[in-house]
Amino acid sequence: MKSALERAADLLGRARFPVIGGLFTDIRGAEAALALAERLGGVVDHAASTGLMRASRVMRETGATPASFGEVRNRADTVVVVGQGPLRRDADLLAKLLPAKPGLPRPGDNKRETILLGTGKVALPKQVRTTAVESKLSLPEMVALLAASVREGRFDLRDKALRVKIEAAAERLRKSAFAVFVYDPAELEEPVLHTVLEIVRHLVVTTRAAILSVAAPGNGDGVNLCSTWTCGLPVRTSFARAVPENDVWLYETGRLIESGEADALVWIDALDGTAPARPKGAPAVVLSSKPGRAGKDDVVIDVGCAVVDHDAALYLAPISGIGMVKAANANDSKPSVAAVLNEIAKVLDAKDAA
Amino acid sequence: MLIQLKGGRVIDPVHNRDAVGDLFVEDGRIVAKLEGRKADEVYDVGGKIVMAGAIDVHSHIAGTNVTLGRQLMPELPALAAAEGQPILASPAAWGSYATGIRYAEMGYTTVIEPAMIPTHAIEAQAELAAIPIIDTAGLVILGNDDYTLELLRGGRAGGDELKDYVAWTLQHSKAMGLKIINAGGSEAFKFNARTFDLDDEVLDYGVSSRAIVESLQKAVADLGVPHPPHVHCNNLGIAGNVETAVATIEATQGLPIHFAHIQFYGYGDAGEKGFSSGAPRLMEAVNKHKNATVDVGQVMFGQTVTISGDILRQFDGRAAASPKKWVINQGDGNGTGVVPYNYRSKSFVNALQWAIGLEIFLMAEDPWRVLFSTDHPNGALFIRYPEIFHLLMDRGERDRWLDDLPKDVREVSNLAGIARELTLSELAIITRGAPARLLGLTDRGHLGPGAVADIAVYTEQKNKTAMFAAADLVFKSGKLVVRDGKVVRVTWGRCYHVKPGFDTQIKRRVNAFYDRYYGADPSWFGVSDAMTRPDRFATIPNLS
Repeated sequence: MKSALERAADLLGRARFPVIGGLFTDIRGAEAALALAERLGGVVDHAASTGLMRASRVMRETGATPASFGEVRNRADTVVVVGQGPLRRDADLLAKLLPAKPGLPRPGDNKRETILLGTGKVALPKQVRTTAVESKLSLPEMVALLAASVREGRFDLRDKALRVKIEAAAERLRKSAFAVFVYDPAELEEPVLHTVLEIVRHLVVTTRAAILSVAAPGNGDGVNLCSTWTCGLPVRTSFARAVPENDVWLYETGRLIESGEADALVWIDALDGTAPARPKGAPAVVLSSKPGRAGKDDVVIDVGCAVVDHDAALYLAPISGIGMVKAANANDSKPSVAAVLNEIAKVLDAKDAA
Repeated sequence: MLIQLKGGRVIDPVHNRDAVGDLFVEDGRIVAKLEGRKADEVYDVGGKIVMAGAIDVHSHIAGTNVTLGRQLMPELPALAAAEGQPILASPAAWGSYATGIRYAEMGYTTVIEPAMIPTHAIEAQAELAAIPIIDTAGLVILGNDDYTLELLRGGRAGGDELKDYVAWTLQHSKAMGLKIINAGGSEAFKFNARTFDLDDEVLDYGVSSRAIVESLQKAVADLGVPHPPHVHCNNLGIAGNVETAVATIEATQGLPIHFAHIQFYGYGDAGEKGFSSGAPRLMEAVNKHKNATVDVGQVMFGQTVTISGDILRQFDGRAAASPKKWVINQGDGNGTGVVPYNYRSKSFVNALQWAIGLEIFLMAEDPWRVLFSTDHPNGALFIRYPEIFHLLMDRGERDRWLDDLPKDVREVSNLAGIARELTLSELAIITRGAPARLLGLTDRGHLGPGAVADIAVYTEQKNKTAMFAAADLVFKSGKLVVRDGKVVRVTWGRCYHVKPGFDTQIKRRVNAFYDRYYGADPSWFGVSDAMTRPDRFATIPNLS
């Protein structure tokens, strides 16, 4: 009987256009996945790439004005939370961004304050002064109204109470020494992201302002950075041609499998926490740190869980970058994602040589 | 295995050698001729030029800032290729892998990434480790971080704690040296300052740029780190800034210091347009202050992207973005600005920048202190180096380029009147011997016995662009990696770092600082031997 690695290599060696998806893995796993995708002429994508792709397209079109988590935590005097995403992702986010203890020296002498724009009802830490802007209008409409008001432009709004709140928020932003918009790009469509960036670009002419984009789950930001330094492009990139190609729609895992364009899937889920949903419809090599049901055509390989079973480099929100986290109870009973993918590549090399 | 490179013209200014002869290589090192032994492999390099592998002291090839540039500008290689720059029109052409390949093809074997962010050292080191063939090292940035500024608050000297903090930072990130970028200027930007001069003070901390540089310079000297502080001065890119650069050079207390990409500080404000060459004034100061070294940061015409921890300068420069998009990343410490830029030969300012860079090279009395760089990608992509070597070695080539530039450039620059042409030995100094000496990498940059066998072989020809774009042969640590300008074997290099000692009390203080202000644990950004290949990291000994 063939080993799982050999069956995986057989499946991938036969595939015309495989996709390596999920990618809930550490940086070493991402490096190995990118190397394998290049070797196979396949695609890399991440299960939480929707927001990353929006942010990356907006960045390529007009740029960006990010601030680090640490800068916001220490120096922002106004934190605008846009939408429900950020506080759903981390209910304690505001307590982390606006802690009770004083931070490093910060510009201006405003009291620190948060503006909640379409967040819905949320629990707030005591020390945070808050203005909530809620309405029946959609979030994109509210963002657009705020943008107009910040520029002191004219806008049509019959809801007097809302107008007062929007104008007060805009006034506060103009008077802020360092205003920061916090959002989850998975929640906001690209035009809304552009609008928020335009507000920031308007404000920075005279004062300081920035955005803080909530990190994607599953080390999405780390995997995306790794893809970028490796091949110059974010995830949802194909290596089928001589030059790598990035396309938000074309190279999305679910679409590739559903349409039958991809004929094999490598599905990677090796981080603690909620597992991403795996698209069904193609034979798969599944690298998972969690027990799950396998389809009859699947090759399932148990792997260690990053940070739990082995030390791992991952995107860490508090440093707004990739850091290394030590495993509390490291054990090598199961191989890492990187080790398995590199072994599959070796089996493929050996087959090619034979 | 004994390898012999037979009959080449060996140019090794470290040993005052420029003569036809043989080189022998064994176990990755250059060895003296072994009497009575026959080489196992002989390369006939008769008629060829043999030099040590080249070393780049200042090239942004890895880390958060560079990858931010890649995120903003995946089209950079395509735009550059469309203009005729020698690069493949693929986003991957400025990825980690292609970086090592292209450098090796030109005969480069060691490259220094000059701007590692302390808290992002893991990414910088992971990116450096993904670059094949060449050896690398990183310089870590301090001088706009609140820990340093707190130690210097109100004019305090920082004392042993600053020294310990610098040593801890260097070790923690596995850096080979310290980088200081617009000291205090990025911090001032956080308080909405839009200009910052040498004697301006950072709000709240009450410490000047001058004081920050002096304190860090002293700390590095006391620690015995071979590479002196690598300084990016205030007022980059501004007309009249030559005065800032000269004042900074004069403030260096006679201690070793390196000034990066000084072309960007060689600007006078004479002439009708208020922009002129300050190269003579700058080089007078550089020539006089023998404790100072510089790299030039030559500009070349064409599309590139500027990536800098001088966020204040980049913020100001955003208006000139081409294409019109930019990133201002307000990160911890310095932050970053990424601004795409296209240097145009028809632009008076850009043409003058180009001329000033060449003037600086050609006015250097001591090439050991005026090193080659383009501040890749800021002045030009590193793939343009061969063209610059050509310009430095061939006055006729310079005149041809000058003829295509706006006429008034000649009036405010001295380039047309400079007859000097660099010799091959001088080129070997500014691209090999001097960088190795400056970095404390005494085992390279020359071809003496015991040196790492990093060797580049070129075919001498009048067209120096062609000559240096594609080496005939390149050996990295004794292994043949390039033949006829193409990589024939992919090897993986080492990463060099220093290990200055410190009082371990500093760890407790730094941990408390990050816990309180960032909710972060410094162990997250500590670089360990285990994070990459075995034998990846190599230590550079401290100066005794």
